[in-house]
Amino acid sequence: MAMFVTKRLLMALATVLVVAVLAFLLVHAMPGSPGAVSLGAGASQDAIDQLNQTLGWNDPLLVQFFRWLGEAAQGNFGNSLVDGRSISSDLANRLPVTASLAAGATVLSALFGIVLGVTAAVRGGFLDQLIGGFVGLLVALPAFWIGVIFVYLFAVQSTVFPATGYVPFEVSPRDWAMSLALPVITLAVGGAAFIARQTRASMLEALQQEHIRTLRATATPTWKILYVHALRYASLPIVAGIALQFIGLFGGSVIAEQLFAMPGLGQAVQTSVSTHDAPAVQGVVVIATVVVVAVNLVLELATKFLDPKLRAS
Amino acid sequence: MIPTLPATTPAIQRKAALTKLSRHRLLASPAGLAGTLWLAAMITASLTAPWWLPFQTEDQDFTAVLSGPTATHWLGTDELGRDILSRIFASAAETLGTSFIAVVVGVGLGTLLALAAASSQRGEGVISRVTEVMMSLPGTVIILAVIGAVGTNIPLIMAILGVLISAGIYRVMLGQAKSLQNQLYVDAAKVDGLGPLAISARHVLPGLATTIVVQSALIFAVGLLIQAGLAFIGFGPPLPQPSWGGMIQSASQHVYDAPWLMVPTGVVLALTVLSANAIGNALGKGPNDTASHLPSAAIRRKRAGQAVAAAAAAPAVGNPPAAGKLSVRGLSVGVDGGTPLVTDVSFDVEPGIVLGLVGESGCGKTMTALSLMGLLPSGVAVTGGQILWNGKNLAAATDKDMESIRGRDVALISQEPMRALDPMFTVGYQLTSAIRRLRSMGKAAASAEALSLLEKVGIVDAKRILKTYPHQISGGMAQRVAIALALSGRPRLLVADEPTTALDVTVQAEILSLLRSLVKDTGMSVVMVTHDLGVVADICDQVAVMYAGQVVENGATASILDDPRHPYTLALLAADPHANSGHDMPERLATIKGQVPQPKDWPGGCRFAARCQFAGSACLVPVPLLPTGTGVGLVRCVKADELATEGLAWVATDVPSDLSPELGVPAEVPARHRLDIIEKDMA
Amino acid sequence: MSIETPLRSEQETTVQRKPMLEVQDLVVRYGHGRKTAAAPAAVDGVSFTIQSGETVGLVGESGSGKSTIGKAILGLQKISGGSVGFQGEDITHTTSGKRRAIGSELRAVFQDPNSSLNPRKTIGASLAEPLRVRGISAAAARTKAEDMLERVGLPREAVDRYPSQFSGGQRQRISVARALICEPKLVVCDEAVSALDLSTQAQVLNLLADLRDERGLSYLFIAHDISVVQFLAQRVVVLYRGQVMESGPAAAVTENPKHPFTQALVAASPVPRPAEQAERRAVREALGVRTASAVAAGPGGCPFRQRCPLATELCATERPALRRMGEADVACHHA
Repeated sequence: MAMFVTKRLLMALATVLVVAVLAFLLVHAMPGSPGAVSLGAGASQDAIDQLNQTLGWNDPLLVQFFRWLGEAAQGNFGNSLVDGRSISSDLANRLPVTASLAAGATVLSALFGIVLGVTAAVRGGFLDQLIGGFVGLLVALPAFWIGVIFVYLFAVQSTVFPATGYVPFEVSPRDWAMSLALPVITLAVGGAAFIARQTRASMLEALQQEHIRTLRATATPTWKILYVHALRYASLPIVAGIALQFIGLFGGSVIAEQLFAMPGLGQAVQTSVSTHDAPAVQGVVVIATVVVVAVNLVLELATKFLDPKLRAS
Repeated sequence: MIPTLPATTPAIQRKAALTKLSRHRLLASPAGLAGTLWLAAMITASLTAPWWLPFQTEDQDFTAVLSGPTATHWLGTDELGRDILSRIFASAAETLGTSFIAVVVGVGLGTLLALAAASSQRGEGVISRVTEVMMSLPGTVIILAVIGAVGTNIPLIMAILGVLISAGIYRVMLGQAKSLQNQLYVDAAKVDGLGPLAISARHVLPGLATTIVVQSALIFAVGLLIQAGLAFIGFGPPLPQPSWGGMIQSASQHVYDAPWLMVPTGVVLALTVLSANAIGNALGKGPNDTASHLPSAAIRRKRAGQAVAAAAAAPAVGNPPAAGKLSVRGLSVGVDGGTPLVTDVSFDVEPGIVLGLVGESGCGKTMTALSLMGLLPSGVAVTGGQILWNGKNLAAATDKDMESIRGRDVALISQEPMRALDPMFTVGYQLTSAIRRLRSMGKAAASAEALSLLEKVGIVDAKRILKTYPHQISGGMAQRVAIALALSGRPRLLVADEPTTALDVTVQAEILSLLRSLVKDTGMSVVMVTHDLGVVADICDQVAVMYAGQVVENGATASILDDPRHPYTLALLAADPHANSGHDMPERLATIKGQVPQPKDWPGGCRFAARCQFAGSACLVPVPLLPTGTGVGLVRCVKADELATEGLAWVATDVPSDLSPELGVPAEVPARHRLDIIEKDMA
Repeated sequence: MSIETPLRSEQETTVQRKPMLEVQDLVVRYGHGRKTAAAPAAVDGVSFTIQSGETVGLVGESGSGKSTIGKAILGLQKISGGSVGFQGEDITHTTSGKRRAIGSELRAVFQDPNSSLNPRKTIGASLAEPLRVRGISAAAARTKAEDMLERVGLPREAVDRYPSQFSGGQRQRISVARALICEPKLVVCDEAVSALDLSTQAQVLNLLADLRDERGLSYLFIAHDISVVQFLAQRVVVLYRGQVMESGPAAAVTENPKHPFTQALVAASPVPRPAEQAERRAVREALGVRTASAVAAGPGGCPFRQRCPLATELCATERPALRRMGEADVACHHA
């Protein structure tokens, strides 16, 4: 087990490194030098060259990379080319927004997904078909479309929730929850549908295992077979599905943030990409990867812990 | 003489197979059919768009800005008065086409990776590591970073999406590719001298075809959604070129004043995604609950209704057998659709007696045994007769009634001990919870009882075994645990379904000895399903030989094995190499031509007649199970006494050129999953 | 046992002529890379030979390494040590390209009739594959396939059908046809009849016996069932945990086993005659062999020692060498 955890940690570290290299190379492939981006369209070529020189843009690529990596490892991603803000502190402010969004949506989709999936598998018949159809529809509806409809229904027609904006938790926990509600639900719709499918399939597979017959042969009550034994067997693929879902939702928050004007990482990616703000893009890619890889690692360890075969070895 | 067959050319067969496939999967499901039609219509409409669209994408109609559907603008107009219908279909071809890039790259790369990994263990290690890394990346963020670097080059972005997705595809395909690579025909091809590339191309890839199509459909949908999402946040094709995501974005600006605008593009996008998903789902049918060991509530309700009806129809139990005696009378079991699997089976089991149900696969012996527990697989039910036990007819009992009988009165051990135990719980948990439930014991008492049960089934280090998980113990040990589990409710009847078939012979001998001593100590009776006449000789007091769903001979083991009356029993013994040893081994073994017929091919008369060396015209009518001439046992053969008096033996024949009738009527692969399961259970 | 097969020491036979197959000190470990060296040996120093026209049975329980030996001979499993010689040529590390050359003389019939034929190919295509690989024309291969099907008792028209249209026994006969279509010298039969019911098992066993007599084939017949092996084999090699326990003429090994494990194996194999089976049971119980679920013996010494009634200190420290006892070779210090 310790061996396994060490191996996974190294893998996670390698993943982040690979992404760091990729991000660095991508940014260098961006059109325009940092000087040009920073000084804007009206600047003279001399001024641009001057600034590029100060920023170290003309140094060999390897030198630049290790300089950047060294700084990044200490949590310093440099300053924005557009407005000169410290990227690290900007991202530090934005991370909680996206994290709340993604975590909230993951929890919500897991909750609804598992209930729907288990119900479909266990009840069968008409209910199964109904849930199947519903879930199929939800998978096909794009999140941004659902989001707009939610805004229309809950923020325009009735003003239950605020249409846009984000209130930090420290300011008002209640308003924080209210401001997250619509974006989280928007993201969770597709997620719940995905997890419902995964859960239904895993439950049905669990119920096909021969040990279910043994349980019935020893007069195990039906509820116990379903919710203790079968669900336990099905839990491995379900948790794996939830981990995948978190990755998807973390990225998917770009759309929710745009739609609901949330000052999160997604918004930062979008604006920095549009404005060719190279260091900001680098920073956000690396931070997003670190978070996703870390959460994935935790969920993966949880999956392994659920499996006696792996726990024992 | 080799019988001839009607000629079928490969072309005809291929065509037939093709129609069968489409009829079977895609077009048979309403959703799949609807999806196919919609996608076909979309593709046609988008390709022909230039010829039929009512407006150019940039035509502005200032008289109808933000209008709903009208006669001129069927789907309404946007904020600049541009026709929505025209804009949707003008951008459709590019949207669908570029999504297809993601499909080709993603599925192509994923499949190649899976093929490579499946053919080399070392390759699998490397590829799996790399794909794990790829799967734990925040894909959307990376795609946006790429957009930052190269701009909104949609084909390139879709290709990169394909690369990112290929890791997931690889995961899906790897298991299947590996299982294909492990097929014996791949080994056979390797022996032929085929290299790894040829094997991947000729034997593995064709087997992945369905999965490839399914994944393609699903990835196509993902590509559409991602593309629309990117356009929605402003990374679509350059303005003013229309795109679905861009149109929804601009519609969202007017959700306050013109909510209709959200509908047309959203619905077209959703329907297209839905269609692709529907095609994927229809082709790659997921797990089916008909194979379940615990059918869904809906199916259970239906069955409970049937059981009540059957109970009402069944005649009252006349002279009930003594307590502890099992009496099966005229039992029939069949598929819900009507195909019988077991017909008119009768036998009695006195307390302390071991009855063997013996026969080849497909004879219905396992179905007979499972019906005693009320644990027939889904889609199979008792269709007639009685199973009398303690004054109750178990054949007509509801699942609830059976719950009070299972484990306490009648217990089960099955063929594969490893699979019979729950892999997620310790042996101790499984055993103690059964004891607490079946014997109403407290936790501490149950733990002590579990320990003593394990010792009773001959496990020396019982304390340690209680703490282990099933995968940590050997097959023989697992079967002992399964027996302990079966004994936990102190049953009076044990149903043992091929309990030693999966075990080594030395372990089999140990388990048989254990069962023998348990019968002696507890006085319980056993119904033992087996295909092995040696096992019957070892442990059974009585034996019922089954053939094609019927009992053909029934009596004391010694009399049947030493002096068989039914030609089938005679033939089985003659074909068994165990019946001979050392220098007595014959030059050739006796065989029975053909094979056990499928239930749907059972003849009206004697079911063995077509394969019998002694069959005559008298065998064409149904034959009852009657007492033998000597009065010992029962036999279902009109010639039994004649054979016995003349002392005829089943003779060894040449290699059979047996092929009609079973080739003339090709044994079709059961079209429905359910029949597969039945076959598996019967095997 | 065939008369023309001398059972004397190996040097003597090699002088007379090259054996069909010669396995020397074969060692197979699973895993790859560094892990291989550390893995316990699935096959641990196994040697035997098969003469031309001879059938040797390889018998053992699960985990005895019998199928691994078959795979190693066929080139389907990497060999960690020792050598395999086929008709005097060393094929220990032969790769697929060169396998093609000997592949027509060294063939195989596998266990599971459900997976030994590709369900997506016609019988004709499966039968023709080994011929096509060797450059025989499609038409000639088809005729040959038809002839071969006829020989195993199936109609010529079967070439255009798919495996799913045949029963298990028929499919296994097709597998036999596939193995024999390029006139091999040696066929490895790996549990070739284990998945079949009694009556069809007898059909295939008879067919194998007939073809052997007709074509002078050699078989390596691998099975867990000693009675089945005994029907076909002239000599039997008994394996336990990757090592040879006993080998010798089939009748001698099965009727008068010397090694405690062989004795246990023979006594545990039930016969369908109740009175005789009761006797065998008594014999088995008197042997005093300990339960198979006993803790596995560590490396070194005799692998059977934990279960063996005769085991002593010596058995834990020193691996017993094969020694001649009567007609058989036995690996036991105390037999």
